[in-house]
Amino acid sequence: MRLINAFRAQTGSEAARSTGSPQPPTAGPLPMDEETYLELYLDQCAVQDDLVPPRSPLFSPVVPYVYPPNPSNPETTFNSHLESKETSGDFSSVDLSFLPDEFTQENKEQAVIRSKHEIEENCETQSQQSRLPLPSGQDVGPGLDSSSLSSSRSHLHPGDANSIQSSPEKANSNPSPLASITPMTPMTPVSECSGIVPQLQNIVSTVNLACKLDLKKIALHAKNAEYNPKRFAAVIMRIREPRTTALIFSSGKMVCTGAKSEEQSRLAARKYARIVQKLGFPARFLDFKIQNMVGSCDVRFSIRLEGLVLTHQQFSSYEPELFPGLIYRMVKPRIVLLIFVSGKVVLTGAKERSEIYEAFENIYPILKGFRKA
Amino acid sequence: MVVFGTTFFNFDSFIGKTESTEIIGNPVFSHCYRDILPLMSGSGRFSLGDARRPLHETAVLVEDVVHTQLINLLQQAAEISQLRGARVISAEDLLFLMRKDKKKLRRLLKYMFIRDYKSKIIKGIDEDDLLEDKLTGSSNANKRQKFAQDFLNSVDQTGELLAMFEDDEIDEVKQERMERAERQTRIMDSAQYAEFCESRQLSFSKKASKFRDWLDCSSMEIKPNVVAMEILAYLAYETVAQLVDLALLVRQDMVTKAGDPFSHAISATFIQYHNSAESTAACGVEAHSDAIQPCHIREAVRRYGRKIGPLSPFTSAYRRNGTAFLAC
Repeated sequence: MRLINAFRAQTGSEAARSTGSPQPPTAGPLPMDEETYLELYLDQCAVQDDLVPPRSPLFSPVVPYVYPPNPSNPETTFNSHLESKETSGDFSSVDLSFLPDEFTQENKEQAVIRSKHEIEENCETQSQQSRLPLPSGQDVGPGLDSSSLSSSRSHLHPGDANSIQSSPEKANSNPSPLASITPMTPMTPVSECSGIVPQLQNIVSTVNLACKLDLKKIALHAKNAEYNPKRFAAVIMRIREPRTTALIFSSGKMVCTGAKSEEQSRLAARKYARIVQKLGFPARFLDFKIQNMVGSCDVRFSIRLEGLVLTHQQFSSYEPELFPGLIYRMVKPRIVLLIFVSGKVVLTGAKERSEIYEAFENIYPILKGFRKA
Repeated sequence: MVVFGTTFFNFDSFIGKTESTEIIGNPVFSHCYRDILPLMSGSGRFSLGDARRPLHETAVLVEDVVHTQLINLLQQAAEISQLRGARVISAEDLLFLMRKDKKKLRRLLKYMFIRDYKSKIIKGIDEDDLLEDKLTGSSNANKRQKFAQDFLNSVDQTGELLAMFEDDEIDEVKQERMERAERQTRIMDSAQYAEFCESRQLSFSKKASKFRDWLDCSSMEIKPNVVAMEILAYLAYETVAQLVDLALLVRQDMVTKAGDPFSHAISATFIQYHNSAESTAACGVEAHSDAIQPCHIREAVRRYGRKIGPLSPFTSAYRRNGTAFLAC
């Protein structure tokens, strides 16, 4: 039952968690379900070495049926582990009600086919939970960062973007992927999650076009370009979609600012590169790197900054006559937060989106402690 | 060292030798306080620890004191820059004046660093700022810090000043101010707190032009440059803060505590000002009102100026013409 809850939580429906328990077991075509379930489990075993003993009786009956001869290591260890725990269970006693209906029906086939290929790549890609690369172009919430299930990812990718977006409370502080499946470790209770997602406001990125540029020519032929060599040795170009500004230097390096997401920044940089290309330069697109990300959000209560600066002296500076906000230098992750009395928080200095989310989740309980009623 | 109640203050202050009395009496400055008074009075001092509705008389007095001190400071800085042969008063002159008091100098340096740091961060956030900064071509990051470091390098004989950069001691005065602010804000409700925060944001640097006029720089031959003006604004703020700190201590001293062995001597240490009836009355009556009275301020300034020590009767001649600067 706890497994149901955990799995439901991963798909983002909180309601299911509370209603998970009283569900009766569904009897589907057993071998298929077990196979997909096994693959799900195999995904997680790649990161978690300890298999929880209570689970193994559930798995071992599956072994003789489904286990694909797969050379990757985590699976062989899993396999051996299973074989050591030999129980001949009855399949009908296996409780498969944890699998939500849409999963078992829609994605069974896809999951089975795809997961066989994906198991191997997942075993490698799952080493860094919080840094999982999300499918590009999809702006999903922080909760997905910690979910490591390839099948769940494939499952969620087509249909469940909405449910993910609607559950921003998923804390990014989920320590390990299996914590959500393992019955012992409780998930971070929803009340501790802030429920607020910082919005990205600005992304600064750099890219190398790898060719010398004639700035005068660019300024003359491109529209929306400014060039004033006496003031500054770069062309300032702007495009409307995505609304960004670029500084293009004669060495071929370019700085792109103003985008609101990583993808937009990359897209904008590509557009600028294409403009330069069309002007006749052999521009390439090398070493695109995001240098800084700025996010902001509102905790919606007033904060007593005097208290905060007193208790967190080594991290904060508050000089109200200089700047109305408190400057908080968080060490892990290395982010600078500007905290204002109104409750607005600006986070800057991040190289990755997850750092901003993590920093905010770290500061939120502290801010709650200094809430001005 | 002078003992104020239960706290010790270190009064190694630079001794000035200019004529302070003429400036106080000058009626020209009376018009200034319509501009500056809102800063100095009510709000400014409220944020530093005074009551919510400070007295007007106190405000006038504080303004006088700060003004006097700043003018003196400016004149001495002008003399020093003349010695150097420079055409403008730069921050170096002011730093030189402050060399005697390490704590205050360190506070000033920290302030300059924070200013640098803040502009660096703001630049990163706002892309317009970023572009502007690149356009102007100057790398302003840490400019004040480098500058201060270079200067102290050149002046430092004993290595004490440079040691301040690595020094991470807690600034007790600042700590006390933070604690006082925290205590005050804890009991406020959100409307009061909003007002408090706004008053804390007042500073002399916001209205730079008015500040310049108030200081009447145009009559001087050597004028301060931009960084020097920033520092002066900070010093003015510090002076007000210091005055409020001291006045609060004086007020605390006036309360006769039961069991205090020196209670019989307390009245003897106060010089009763018989100039205006109100101030005498105010001093006589115990501070039931929370606001700082002018007599507190006067007493604080008086004590600050006195040197107590084994040789004090013999050094009074040396000190007679001087004004002790509260800010340095």
